Amino acid sequence: MRPLTEDESRAVFEKLANYIGKNLIHLIDRPDGPYCFRLQKDRVYYVSEDSMRLSISVARPNLVSLGTCFGKFSKSGKFKLHITALDYISKYAKYKVWIKPNGEMPFLYGNHVLKAHLGRITEDTPEHQGVVVYSMSDMPLGFGVTARATVDTRKMDPTAIIIFHQADVGEYLRDEETLF
Amino acid sequence: MDVSSIIASNASKFQSIAVEKDTPLDVDAALLVATDPNPIDEESYSTDLEVHLQALARDGIQALCTVLFALPTQRSDDGPLAQLPPPTTALPRAKPLPKPKPPTKWEQFAAAKGIQHKVRDKREWDEERQEWVNRWGRDGKNRRLEEQWITEVPLNADVDHDPRKIARDERKARVAKNEKQRLGNAARAAGTPRDARKQEIERTLATSRVSTASMGKFDKKLEGEKKIRGVKRKFEPTEKPLEEEKNASLALLARMGSDAKKTRREPSKEEDVLNVRKAIRSASRGRGGIALGRAASAGGGRGGSRGRGRGKR
Repeated sequence: MRPLTEDESRAVFEKLANYIGKNLIHLIDRPDGPYCFRLQKDRVYYVSEDSMRLSISVARPNLVSLGTCFGKFSKSGKFKLHITALDYISKYAKYKVWIKPNGEMPFLYGNHVLKAHLGRITEDTPEHQGVVVYSMSDMPLGFGVTARATVDTRKMDPTAIIIFHQADVGEYLRDEETLF
Repeated sequence: MDVSSIIASNASKFQSIAVEKDTPLDVDAALLVATDPNPIDEESYSTDLEVHLQALARDGIQALCTVLFALPTQRSDDGPLAQLPPPTTALPRAKPLPKPKPPTKWEQFAAAKGIQHKVRDKREWDEERQEWVNRWGRDGKNRRLEEQWITEVPLNADVDHDPRKIARDERKARVAKNEKQRLGNAARAAGTPRDARKQEIERTLATSRVSTASMGKFDKKLEGEKKIRGVKRKFEPTEKPLEEEKNASLALLARMGSDAKKTRREPSKEEDVLNVRKAIRSASRGRGGIALGRAASAGGGRGGSRGRGRGKR
């Protein structure tokens, strides 16, 4: 376990800022106590200071997980967000998408969101913007990236892809052994 | 009622808190260490190792606890805290000793001649002023000749003889000489040009060894060829105060924000059609936007009548 280097922090912050924008400051500078990002076996964890200090005493091979896993670094140094970060992302999300009940299951099986399944979307969402996907009852289901800006979606046909799938809560079952 | 038998039977269940050994245990309370210097009892060791080790551990812990509970305590929210004495066991240092600096040329000479190093105080007693003054630096005594208000001039002096300038030049020359010697010492400490060349060759060799198709993995090894030592990665310590880490993250965020602004700024499309700066200059006849605004608010009568800007066009 170690703190992130500057390049790694930059990669993580850029990815997070795509979803929560300036609210990223609230993750770093929390009023309820110090939190930090820690790297352990290519995975980035968001931990409170107390549990981070406790886990210092655990040897690296024995430390399985700590805090909340935000994602992992690929071998080529790219950062990939995991669904476990959804709690924090949905709390601070800037752009949101609500999908209809008949679109929930296809999304939870890892498919992209079609226009036919789109319930509501935040106004003036730009193209290729990270968005959090909610069910109509405001339950966060995952996150993705918009394929088109909100204004351009009006004149598309119902089978066109609106949101590219990035992660969904179905991964808790599908990728259980590699997720945390 | 006689309770002495109950007390006696109760006491017999527990071992005494005193540890009886041939050689008393060494206890260093500061490091929470108890060392047993007694030789191992061969018989109990060979009959039942587990029991022997447990008894040994029990005695050590008991001795340590006895010392700890005898220490002065301090009250706290979490209960009483014992105040540990300074450690008595000397531990070896973690890092190797720093390497001695290579001697300067003067140090070599002094060592050869047997000259002792004398520590000279930075301050010196001034008989005239009756106080301690600096040898050099602020109000230093080495500028005494330059600063005195009257100076004796030799009989055969030139017309442009300036004793202040001469003293100053001499002082500056001494400083320059010292700096030159310092640089020479530094260069000598850094190594000869031969060393630098050797380093360069080693670097080139290391680069060429990994510049093959297999990144040097399946190449023929020469006899006595050394393994390449890479650069060790260095990371921030995990146990650093989090405040510093937070500030570094916030600074990084601020920098990322400013980078984003830089990339987002691109020329607007209106600028291609209409050059605003040029249009203002032309409309105000070279006197600028403020003058144009003033003329418009005054009714536009005065601005045009002067026509001073015409000559420039």
